[in-house]
Amino acid sequence: MTDAALSLPRTTTRRRSALQRRAFPYLLLAPAVIFLLGITLWPGIYAVKRSLQTGKFKLEWVGLQNYRELFADNTFWTAVWNTLFLGSVTLAIEAVIAMALAAFVYRSNWARSWRIIFMLPMLFMPSAVSYLWKLLFNDGRVIADLIRRVGFDYGNIDWMGSAFNARFVLVVTDVWQWTPFLFIIFVAGLQGQDKEIEEAARLDGASWTKIFFNISLPMLRPVIAIALVLRGIDILNNMAAVNIITQGTPGGATETLSYFIYRTAFRSFEQGYASAASVVVLITTIVLAQFLVRRFFRSGTDS
Amino acid sequence: MKKRFDPSWWGTAVLWFWAAVCLLPIVYFASIALRPRNEIIAPSPIYFPTITTETWAKIFAEWPIMSYFVNSVIAISGSVFICLLLGIPAAYALARYNFKGREDIGFYILSTKFMAPAAVAIPIFVLFGQLKMLDTVWALMLVYAAMNLSIVVWIIRSYMVDIPAAIEDAARTDGASDLRILWEIVIPMCLPGIITAAVIAAIFAMNEYLFTLIIASKNAYPLSVALANFSGGSDGIIYNAIALVGFMAFLPALLLVILIQNHLSRGLTMGAVKG
Repeated sequence: MTDAALSLPRTTTRRRSALQRRAFPYLLLAPAVIFLLGITLWPGIYAVKRSLQTGKFKLEWVGLQNYRELFADNTFWTAVWNTLFLGSVTLAIEAVIAMALAAFVYRSNWARSWRIIFMLPMLFMPSAVSYLWKLLFNDGRVIADLIRRVGFDYGNIDWMGSAFNARFVLVVTDVWQWTPFLFIIFVAGLQGQDKEIEEAARLDGASWTKIFFNISLPMLRPVIAIALVLRGIDILNNMAAVNIITQGTPGGATETLSYFIYRTAFRSFEQGYASAASVVVLITTIVLAQFLVRRFFRSGTDS
Repeated sequence: MKKRFDPSWWGTAVLWFWAAVCLLPIVYFASIALRPRNEIIAPSPIYFPTITTETWAKIFAEWPIMSYFVNSVIAISGSVFICLLLGIPAAYALARYNFKGREDIGFYILSTKFMAPAAVAIPIFVLFGQLKMLDTVWALMLVYAAMNLSIVVWIIRSYMVDIPAAIEDAARTDGASDLRILWEIVIPMCLPGIITAAVIAAIFAMNEYLFTLIIASKNAYPLSVALANFSGGSDGIIYNAIALVGFMAFLPALLLVILIQNHLSRGLTMGAVKG
């Protein structure tokens, strides 16, 4: 039957060699991977090299001296503590508020409208939001005025005067801007859940609080985990607010690791020393990412 | 019997309260852009100021606001273009092919999202210094692209996985090449995913602060870091200009996000949470 073969000519002319076929996905990925290696691998290697050197213009090899100094440096450990402490407090507050809002919104007929309103703060640049809250707390004294108007007269509160106050300002700024991030994900997760389970529980006479805490919330756990991981990373990296509002004051009480590295490298120009801190952060994030990425994200073609 | 899923009046009260928390600072911020300078920092805050746009002319005359805006537009749109150019083929490979190392490569790409910008700030600064690219929009473009590529790949991959493979198989049987299938079938079908990825990458690029701060020093200021210009001089912090620039970035972001609002959660979680 030669005719049959002639009627399907394209399949034979288009067939490529087995090698070409096998190489094809790698060719598709190569540009992206090479680009990413360029901005992760090379900087990583450079940071390690630079962390073993000292000097501003004339570089000298000093071995592990930068690391020895870093680990003995109290400002570094304060920055580590501030990053973790401020980060977890902020994340916890954001998660609670976002979940409460999501619980009230997700089956509401007005869900779309609430979602638009609640996400507005997230759409401003963090630098603009930092100036906005710097104005509301410090320069414009709006918050102190509002507190006085509702009946608590603390006079002119010095928001940068104590560690607690300055940290409070940073937490409020971040919570105001980024609670929407968690809220949007929580609402979508809750809306994606099967309505019929809730329906069945309701028919059995369960109250909506019971339904929410015993059924919807436990089912949402994977979504919550992903949302918290993503937000947590951004909180740890946040530095616009620190740089604009507090600059680490008072006495380093609000200095985060990102700001510590920035200040040491680009304000004091001690790049070797800052590189040592960079390497510590890099190694921590590599280890963390290996764990988190594989734990919470699925690869593969099965969606 | 109450209405179904009605979290009662106090639920609604909580929602209205948070709406006020969200909106009042924004309204106050807008009023800052619209009031004369002497009413911004007063002995006690002025909640009902004189509304005027007179300060705008002065702001636009004193600072190259439009060039900040143009810098932002060039750096951001260029970075989104790079992300799509590199990201779409990569996403397709991860979504559709079985090959050795797929898991590892996919997770490597995703893990770059977890890298702390501060940890690579010094090398990036040195790198662009050696390339003589400091203070150029091209450097910003490359940094933004690198920062967002992982997100773009994973968002688009998630949408591609959802396309039934049968359609591509049919086209393949008809003799279409893989690249043609990608271009003529897969890309049109996952367009919502591509748009979502582009919008989210654009907004993240607009928000970027640390890299922008160390790269841009005079000519390349985009909106996010240009704000710092309004705080250095003898006039103190010029909040009119800050609010004005803040809204210049906010309005396009709002329009873009409304466009993709039903895909937002999927985009923000890189495809992990649908809806």
